Amino acid sequence: MIKIEYLTPASPEERKRYYREEWDIKQVPDFIAHSIQEREFGFDHVGRGPNDRYKVFRNPDLLKRFLKVRTPFAAYCSVAFYDKPRRRDKWTKAELVFDVDAKDIPIRTCECEGVCEICLNEAREIVCGIIDTLKEDLGLKNIHIVYSGRGYHVRVLDDDVTHVNSDVRSQIVKYIVGAEVPENEYSLDYEKVSYEHFVIPFGYPNVFTERVKYSILHLNEHSNLDEVNKKLLKDVLKYRPLIEDNNWGMFKNKIGPLRYKKVVNGIASMNMSLVDAKVSIDLKRILRLPSSLHSMVSMKCTEVKNIETFDPFKEAVPKFVYERK
Amino acid sequence: MVSVAFINPLSDEGEIIVRELGDFGRVLSDNDDLMQIVTGSRSQEISNDSFIPRNYVDLAIKRIEWFVKKKNDRNFDNNQYDFLFNTEILKFDVIAFYLLCQAVGVKYGPNSRESRVMVESQGKLIEYRLEKLSKNVREEVVTNILNSLISSTHIKWTFFEDLISTKKLKLQDLILDQGEIVLDKDDFLERFSHKIHGRKPEKMYEALIGDRIKELVMIKMVMQNTENYILKVGEKSDREIEPNPILLELADKISDVLAASVRSYGIGGSYRGNVKASALNPKAFPPCVKKVMEGMKSGGRNDAIIMFLTPFISYARLYPSVFSENITKQISDIDPSLSIVQNEVLPLIFEAAERCTPPLFEDQPQDKVNLNAKLGFGMHQDPDLKNEGETIWYTPMSCEKVKIHLPSLCKPDENCKKIGNPLSYYNMMIWKVRKEAKTESTTDNKE
Ligand code: SF4
Ligand SMILES: [Zn+2]
Repeated sequence: MIKIEYLTPASPEERKRYYREEWDIKQVPDFIAHSIQEREFGFDHVGRGPNDRYKVFRNPDLLKRFLKVRTPFAAYCSVAFYDKPRRRDKWTKAELVFDVDAKDIPIRTCECEGVCEICLNEAREIVCGIIDTLKEDLGLKNIHIVYSGRGYHVRVLDDDVTHVNSDVRSQIVKYIVGAEVPENEYSLDYEKVSYEHFVIPFGYPNVFTERVKYSILHLNEHSNLDEVNKKLLKDVLKYRPLIEDNNWGMFKNKIGPLRYKKVVNGIASMNMSLVDAKVSIDLKRILRLPSSLHSMVSMKCTEVKNIETFDPFKEAVPKFVYERK
Repeated sequence: MVSVAFINPLSDEGEIIVRELGDFGRVLSDNDDLMQIVTGSRSQEISNDSFIPRNYVDLAIKRIEWFVKKKNDRNFDNNQYDFLFNTEILKFDVIAFYLLCQAVGVKYGPNSRESRVMVESQGKLIEYRLEKLSKNVREEVVTNILNSLISSTHIKWTFFEDLISTKKLKLQDLILDQGEIVLDKDDFLERFSHKIHGRKPEKMYEALIGDRIKELVMIKMVMQNTENYILKVGEKSDREIEPNPILLELADKISDVLAASVRSYGIGGSYRGNVKASALNPKAFPPCVKKVMEGMKSGGRNDAIIMFLTPFISYARLYPSVFSENITKQISDIDPSLSIVQNEVLPLIFEAAERCTPPLFEDQPQDKVNLNAKLGFGMHQDPDLKNEGETIWYTPMSCEKVKIHLPSLCKPDENCKKIGNPLSYYNMMIWKVRKEAKTESTTDNKE
């Protein structure tokens, strides 16, 4: 029965209780606490967006005092590092960020209005795929995951990427989400060979295969894919157990090569919505502060230690929710 | 063996050649050695004196001319430029390359059209020069140059950050593994052989990487270095008092070549024919525009109509060549009475707005003001000449921007591969559509 009280807004009283009784400065992850004086902070005091910006804290203790006194509706901190954060001046670097919002992912098996357990879990699965690619392909290691309240932020702090510009970031996004269908014909000296993405077990074609697999396994009869009509969608659903077994060749045969092409084209163009690319290319974005309260849904924004097993309904529900009547 | 400098003038060999030139004044005087090599090139067309460069500066101009005409002139004859592929021209060619970079750097800097053309022409020249080599020689040259450009066998992908940022290389074109770019065959086999089933790993290497990617990477790196060199020259010349008059003159000649190409072949795009402003033809709209024209669901409809569609429709109708001409205009420069705006541009935009659910301007009249602003008429309800210039006339979003800000719009088709902006798609297609219409009507006549 407690379920009904989940995901509803927190009252000002509940906010106060949260920050004064439950919140602890130690819950702010080290990757932020250690660079606190280089970052810009922003706050939303009344629930109309973060318009109290350009805040700076010289040490965690000052941030702690601020939060305990003001108990804001929402708290944010920049992905950017500055020499002079108060004026957002002398930008030095910015985390590389991927924002997966459960509400906005293109294929959801639930039909909820906002977010629910089902789509939050789907967002989590997408995040797992992204992290794999960041590690395996791009060789990135300093990766942090934050549950934002209605999705996830993947925050990368490797020196290799924190200084790159928006153009490079947008290329990274396209690679990570599988936004383009890989070539399937290659010219050799005297012949042409064709390799579909699914026979290439490495590099970008492999990333693409993983994303397509995810999408196909999450389609349902109401899904909307460009150029894919009802009949084709039905066939995809019918034969998709083959893909579960990685039997792609057979799947493509059953569907027919031309129709297969339509399916992967449709998925590729949809993949760009797996993450909010606007966030990834923004070098000065502020993101919800881990440990702070997402007052709209009464959830804690939390650093995730183990994404494989993370369950927001166990680890991100503030105490006051359990005590609601 | 062909010299590395013939492909990469920025190599050590190339620098030695430049140092040997000595006196700068000689670049304008007639050079018999040069003319002899030119006229002695195997397929060189010599029927007209103007085909033959007489000195270094002439040769520099010919390099640019070759590129621009090859791209745009339907009657292009490669034999007029055969000397560019004669390896004997090496020393002259390297000097001509440096002259061009310096002229462009001094006068226009790295972000100019001249610089872009210079960099692209170097890339194309390398491609064609490589094609004329035998397979073995070609492989050897490419490997040599790559080895000199990339010192380690373990290349982090971030080593190519510049190339990726300027879109010379796409991340997807490279094979990445654990943060490194795989180029070498043995390295490839070691990393992936055990994962490949039912296919020959060697063949897969040749297809996915092989000479093709190695050449691609090499060419793009030389292009990037050319761009960086132009930048360096530009920065240095900012600190100097008097640039060399020979360079300034060469710089003027380069823009003359470009200007002439705009006049005679339309614009410097990859398609031919002139793009003049004319009535809109929705058949030639790219998929993204067609999609907005069908109307949008509530999410994102503001941006789709105002940020995306309004600039597109207005430029497609009034100033389709904005990117090639690269001159900022106001709407009234083209449509002084705003009658085209009122009768053709706005109705199309309103039509699309009507088709949205819910219709756009009904529940958000403020959007009309925003729409006006994007046309350059300030924050007002209706376009009025007296307000023009209060805001700027927004140029159409690139495909890149569409994919990021309005990902649901971009449904690329085959033609999208050749362009980077929906407006270029339109310019390219309008020409095709017109041609198709013509052939249709001639067949009609026969019947
Ligand atoms: S590639 Fe460009 S022109 Fe084609 S649909 Fe996408 S945005 Fe439009
Ligand atoms: Zn849901």
